[in-house]
Amino acid sequence: MTYCYHVCICLFLIILQTTVMPYIPLFHGFYDLLTPFFIYLCIFRPLRESMPVILFFGFVMEAISGGTFGLYLTTYMWLFIGVRWIITFLHVGNNPLLPFVVVAAVLMENFIFVGSNVIFEPGLRFTSEMSITIGVQVFWAIFTGPMFLMFFNYSFGKWDKRVKEISTRKVGR
Amino acid sequence: MFSKKMVMIVGVIVLIAVNIILISVFNRRYISYYGPGRIAISIVAPFQKASSTSIRFVRDIWRHYFFLVNAAKENEELRKDLNRAFEKSIQFKEFKLSNARLRNLLNFQKNITDRVLAAEVIGKDPSPWFKTVLIDKGKQDGVEKGMAVVIPEGIAGQTTEVSAHYSKVLLIIDHNSAVDALVQRDRARGIIKGGSAGQCLFKYVLRKHDVMVDDIVVSSGLDGVFPKGLSVGYVSGVIKPKSGIFQEVTVTPYVDFEKLEEVLVVLTPKKHEFEQEK
Repeated sequence: MTYCYHVCICLFLIILQTTVMPYIPLFHGFYDLLTPFFIYLCIFRPLRESMPVILFFGFVMEAISGGTFGLYLTTYMWLFIGVRWIITFLHVGNNPLLPFVVVAAVLMENFIFVGSNVIFEPGLRFTSEMSITIGVQVFWAIFTGPMFLMFFNYSFGKWDKRVKEISTRKVGR
Repeated sequence: MFSKKMVMIVGVIVLIAVNIILISVFNRRYISYYGPGRIAISIVAPFQKASSTSIRFVRDIWRHYFFLVNAAKENEELRKDLNRAFEKSIQFKEFKLSNARLRNLLNFQKNITDRVLAAEVIGKDPSPWFKTVLIDKGKQDGVEKGMAVVIPEGIAGQTTEVSAHYSKVLLIIDHNSAVDALVQRDRARGIIKGGSAGQCLFKYVLRKHDVMVDDIVVSSGLDGVFPKGLSVGYVSGVIKPKSGIFQEVTVTPYVDFEKLEEVLVVLTPKKHEFEQEK
């Protein structure tokens, strides 16, 4: 049931990002919505739960995106390693630190994507439009990233509670 | 012998190196990861289709019933445009007749319009760094990898990944896209590549050609993907460097990729006819 929650949330975020948000001009420069969810998985959920979800949806993102195969998987893998490493010495579950974690993740994702474009596309230069895109993403990440994380934490708590209630009722019968 | 910290640093360096090597391998050889890739698209695409259909439904209700004030103003403007268009249409009829005669003379086989398949855009690329869209037509509708995707305004892109009912389209504004094209006025040839901010770069145009701003760029048909003569965009900037053999030309596409909703897939003529014959 836990995996069911993760799959539903990831699908919802992908649909929101690829189908709903392109219709709203305000959100044209929004960052990858799976990033805060994967950060949530790394911080708050155990390894055996987070790793398969990150790998599976990393692969789904590879399939629906036009980038070189491996970019999303690379980004999510390093995100996973980075956040897991940070939580060994920093208590990032604290709310004041969450915006910085999301911003760092968004910057890392952009660094990998732009870096790969610059490396593999001869003649491609880092333009002002690129820095604006990254700036807008960082702006959104600072304000909305922690809200997403808190929402995921809250909704999973509710989901878990509900599932436990149902299973207790079944056992009681 | 080695400290734990040292082993960790070496491990991270090795991991980064392996990662870069793998990505560069995948970048050079396009992997069409047939089975799993198609399955992933098949999982996500139906949800994308359902949500884009419902969004369009709600938006159409808004446009048709709550936006009538603007519609009245627009109606007046359109009436004026219609009068102008009527005059032009008489001219175009003359052109059409002469065009038909010339086509017969040159033994053109068929008009492009009877070999296209209409498709709806159901999802856009999740990353702002790549420009692809998903459409709701796939292998079972006759779509194949490498088919041209156009709209009446001009070339939109080409199919790069095809599953049973859905396809991924690489737009011409993507860095990985390339279209063999020429300037309509003086026939200067080059390659249209994706640039930044929705613009395209017209590469490898020789300095000797007198390319000017507002010149129309059309497909040359030499890439084997896009039929000859389809409009790509207009020249919006020309820089002639003092040295070198090429000039830097920027092209603004006619297609508004932000508002891309319906597209036409140009089916490969011979195969399409072969299917019909069978």
